[in-house]
Amino acid sequence: MFKSRSWFGLTSRSPKNRLSLDNLKNLLSVLEKNQTVSENNRGLLVESLRCIAEILIWGDQNDGSVFDFFLEKNMLSYFLHIMRQKSGGSSFVCVQLLQTLNILFENIRNETSLYYLLSNNHVNSIIVHKFDFSDEDVMGYYILFLKTLSLKLNSHTIHFFYNETTKDFPLYTEAIKFFNHPESMVRIAVRTISLNVYKVENESMQQFIRDRTAAPYFSNLVWFIGKHILELDYCVRNDTDHQSHHRLSNLVAEHLDSLHYLNDILLLKIEGLNAVLTEHLLHKLFVPLYIYSLTPQTPDLAVVTRNLAAVLNKIVDIDDVQDTCDNPRVSSIVALFLLSLVFLVITHSPLVHALAWVILNGDHSVFKEGAAEVLNNYIERREAVTLGFGQPRESLEEALDSSSSINLSPVSSEKASSSSSPRTHPNSESTVSVSAEASLSDEMEKVNITDEEKEQILESSLNMQKSSRPFLDMVLHSLDCSENDYIALLALCLLYALANNKGVNQDWLDLVLNKSSSTVASKYNGILIEKLLNIIHNSSQPSCRIRLVTIELTLKLLTQLLGTNPLIIPENHRASLLQARTQSMTVLKNFYKSEDIFLDLFEDEYNEMTKSNLNVEFLCMDSAILLPPTGTPLTGIEFSRRLPCGEVEKARRAIRFFFLIRKMCQSINNEVEQLLPLTNPLQCVQIDNALDLNNSDLIACTVIMKDGTKYRRFLVIDVLQLILVEPDPRKLGWGIAKLVGFLQDVEVIGDKDDSRCLHLTIHRGRPTTNRMPILSAKFIFDDHIRCMAAKQRLTKGRSKARQKKMYQIAQLLEIPQLNESPTPIYSSMLRESRTARTPREHRPLFSTSNRIPGVASALRRESMPSGSVSRCQIVNRSSVEGESSRHRSSSTKSSTPISTPKRDGSKNRSHSGTPKSRDSSPRVLRPASEEIPLENLNSSSPSSRCSSNAPSRSHTPSRLTTDSTNGLSIAKEAVPTTSNGDVVLRQRSEETSFMSGINEDKEKRRKGMIETV
Amino acid sequence: MSYAYLFKYIIIGDTGVGKSCLLLQFTDKRFQPVHDLTIGVEFGARMITIDGKQIKLQIWDTAGQEAFRSITRSYYRGAAGALLVYDITRRETFNHLTTWLEDARQHSNSNMVIMLIGNKSDLESRREVKKEEGEAFAREHGLVFMETSARTAANVEEAFINTAKEIYEKIQEGVFDINNEANGIKIGTVSTPTNPSIGSNLPGGQSSNSCC
Repeated sequence: MFKSRSWFGLTSRSPKNRLSLDNLKNLLSVLEKNQTVSENNRGLLVESLRCIAEILIWGDQNDGSVFDFFLEKNMLSYFLHIMRQKSGGSSFVCVQLLQTLNILFENIRNETSLYYLLSNNHVNSIIVHKFDFSDEDVMGYYILFLKTLSLKLNSHTIHFFYNETTKDFPLYTEAIKFFNHPESMVRIAVRTISLNVYKVENESMQQFIRDRTAAPYFSNLVWFIGKHILELDYCVRNDTDHQSHHRLSNLVAEHLDSLHYLNDILLLKIEGLNAVLTEHLLHKLFVPLYIYSLTPQTPDLAVVTRNLAAVLNKIVDIDDVQDTCDNPRVSSIVALFLLSLVFLVITHSPLVHALAWVILNGDHSVFKEGAAEVLNNYIERREAVTLGFGQPRESLEEALDSSSSINLSPVSSEKASSSSSPRTHPNSESTVSVSAEASLSDEMEKVNITDEEKEQILESSLNMQKSSRPFLDMVLHSLDCSENDYIALLALCLLYALANNKGVNQDWLDLVLNKSSSTVASKYNGILIEKLLNIIHNSSQPSCRIRLVTIELTLKLLTQLLGTNPLIIPENHRASLLQARTQSMTVLKNFYKSEDIFLDLFEDEYNEMTKSNLNVEFLCMDSAILLPPTGTPLTGIEFSRRLPCGEVEKARRAIRFFFLIRKMCQSINNEVEQLLPLTNPLQCVQIDNALDLNNSDLIACTVIMKDGTKYRRFLVIDVLQLILVEPDPRKLGWGIAKLVGFLQDVEVIGDKDDSRCLHLTIHRGRPTTNRMPILSAKFIFDDHIRCMAAKQRLTKGRSKARQKKMYQIAQLLEIPQLNESPTPIYSSMLRESRTARTPREHRPLFSTSNRIPGVASALRRESMPSGSVSRCQIVNRSSVEGESSRHRSSSTKSSTPISTPKRDGSKNRSHSGTPKSRDSSPRVLRPASEEIPLENLNSSSPSSRCSSNAPSRSHTPSRLTTDSTNGLSIAKEAVPTTSNGDVVLRQRSEETSFMSGINEDKEKRRKGMIETV
Repeated sequence: MSYAYLFKYIIIGDTGVGKSCLLLQFTDKRFQPVHDLTIGVEFGARMITIDGKQIKLQIWDTAGQEAFRSITRSYYRGAAGALLVYDITRRETFNHLTTWLEDARQHSNSNMVIMLIGNKSDLESRREVKKEEGEAFAREHGLVFMETSARTAANVEEAFINTAKEIYEKIQEGVFDINNEANGIKIGTVSTPTNPSIGSNLPGGQSSNSCC
């Protein structure tokens, strides 16, 4: 950056010499000799200044005499002298000067050194110097210099920067001039400086800040926030296609930065400052822009606007900049969003309280009178800041400069202007603000005095305003999502933010939004709950256009409004929710089994739901909710915040909605979830568990990982899990689990070249997600028979595990499980139960995608893990055997599937009796007879199912034919070569032995698990 | 000083890990490291050349700004690169990396290139965090990793320049929207990029007119 030629004499010295008092003396003489900056000496000067910084820091840390010398010779004055010269490439030298100053103030550790540096007024002279701020580097060094100084501020050092007699505080006033600098880092530094200044406890300084700078600074700040919002609104209006998403999200993030900055100021709890800021925010931004934009322009409002213009005209005499005719307006979407942000971020009670009051109780007169007039019903409050969104008359710089020079602050001019209007108070700005603030809190305390008094006040105000509450009406009206949920989501955000803001007076929020105080029966509470229930009702319809996030937020709000006590929930509300649940189950039944990945989706969605807890604050950081809801994932909008796209996402949405409404219904009924999640993690084997494997079937194998590492392990197949164990060195017959995975996620592929070898992948949940599989490795067994056995047991285990879970889901959805009862009884029973329960609902088990009989089974066959068709058939058959034995045993126990929802119950049943039934039942017939009901579910047409018994039976033969063709395919495969046939036969025989083995294993394993851990 | 691009960097990490020293060491080579002297600075800029193009790196240290929420949430945004620094002689600075990273990921734009730096590699005898641990952390979180020493200047150049190279590659791939300055990348201009009368000339109601 700097051409280094002319200062060899300085840098070639050894460090010892370089860092010494002597060298500082040399450098001083250089400065003395080169008081005028020129092309020739500027390189030398720059290097001298740089070296001075080094020596000073070294001196601060090592040698006190260095600083004494620096001060004694008043070397800072040389700095000033140099920077004030315009000639000789000043920015080149100035960058070095500023860097030296930065290094000096950042690295100094000795407090006395700091005091010495600040003691003469040189630092303030440097601060007010007009550097060439168009140079990025100068700007950066300058603003960080100010920031560094602001970090040194405390009640002692403040006197070096704030001159009480001349009312001069350059560090602050110079810094805030850059509040709107295009470079974000500069803006951040300005905010840091201002906050550091505000928190210094010095009364005189704080008074100066409030009286001389607060009004101009805050009015400009608010104006720029408002302008920024108009930009944001323009972006939203013109971007229905989600094209400028990045720009919009930047605008939202910037706006949030501003809000958080305002909140940080308010949180410092400097009373006078907060009063000024509150008034500016309310009367210059929130009311005239946000609230104003909530309701559309009505004739009524036109009158108001004329009145507003009339009021403002008096000011226009003085204030000619203000545009009085057309108050800018943003879309109601943006207005709701911005109000939500206010209540999510800002907690300063007087501000949020007044704003909430306007929204909940105010009418259009607020635009004529400002919040003051409306608030006068509620509090004694006098106007100091004129109402209206407009540009401040003076720029901040002008205002600050005039305040320091002529000592006539713009505040006083504003006061003069407003005093011409009849309503304003002739006091000085500061006292008015303070008294307003004080009276506001006084009044709020008064509201809290006694319940009766409070309710009297509130009731009267409610009654008075009951006729017209356009803003609350608008918010409630927005909750209607018969078309879509675009504006409803934002209205929900606002209601949620309002109800959860700590600064809003909870008592009267309750009055409007809650029913807990029963004396004043607010009609709004009833309307609100009706509206929310209506959203839920609409969401339960299959074709609704309501996003998941809206549903989740509605339920969240509803939970809050209904209260925790389930007893006080009116029956009609409860019934409405329960009906939505029934409806959601009906919708979900359409998806049951229609896609092979249904189970994966189901479990995946459950995990997603338990993981994520809706955070409204994060939701409102997402600018995507400002744009019309869209379905396409190409926008990058996360699933819950857009509409579903395609069948799979529709299934996901139906599943998620079912979970949400189920949870809600359980909470209002005080029930505890017993059926979810499908897999109880506590019942699963964990890695490093010791397991009793005596009498269990173990298949020895060598696992070869992708990177070539090998392990010797034993493969154990449990009900739901695949476990790789290694022998427990301490106990004979025991093993330690080294890897566990769910059978349902196992993918097995044979090896073409090696018959002893299997390729095994254990996915993490749904295979379509990109997560790394738990294991992807090659398994080598001792011989091809054991390999075959392992393969069979894995595929069989997989389908059994899946079937078991599908059965659980059927229970959840109250789908009468066909396999639970003998086939002839099934259809009539099914019909009876269905007609008895919900006569109107349409065929639940009908799948839209699989209308053609036989498609479902074909689909399922295709999607089985790759392997021979014959294997699939065997698996199907054997898995069906399990089912058959299960329902047989359960039917003897005369327990219907719906009445035994407990997981353990079904498990026990499937365990007990299986071997016996298998042995006794003839094999050949089973596939056909068992397959019928299963396939029937997927393929029968709705009309045939609904109309009568006969047609549904008439389907049975057709199913039989498809199954017989399946049987044929086995035969075809098996017939050609005898060796193949042998294998098939052996498989079968082994299969039976394994089946019993597995069952024994299960018994043992359960014992083992009790002993584990 | 004209440049093709300007990349904005931030440096984050616990206090005392040597952030500002790294910054000074990189931006201003005239400060030769001396053993009994630690000098740092919170701002700096330097030209580098990548692929034959002049690129200006502008680096902002954010020290002392952590006290307010509004400040922390805004400074990650608007940076194209971040150096996340810990001190290899102080384990706690390594332990805090997760918090820093969470903050950065939450508030920054998703394309920001983050480089993990284990500083003070010259103090081998007092080392508390193994190099392998740093590497593992970086791998786990998808960061580039390097051990540096502001005192011996080891790897300091590489840390800043490699980060720049990665940003440059992302620009070539079209990942960064370079027309959006909020991403921390500015397309080159001649040496006077900003308006001198900042914050004072408020262009009146241009956007407001378009919205009414």
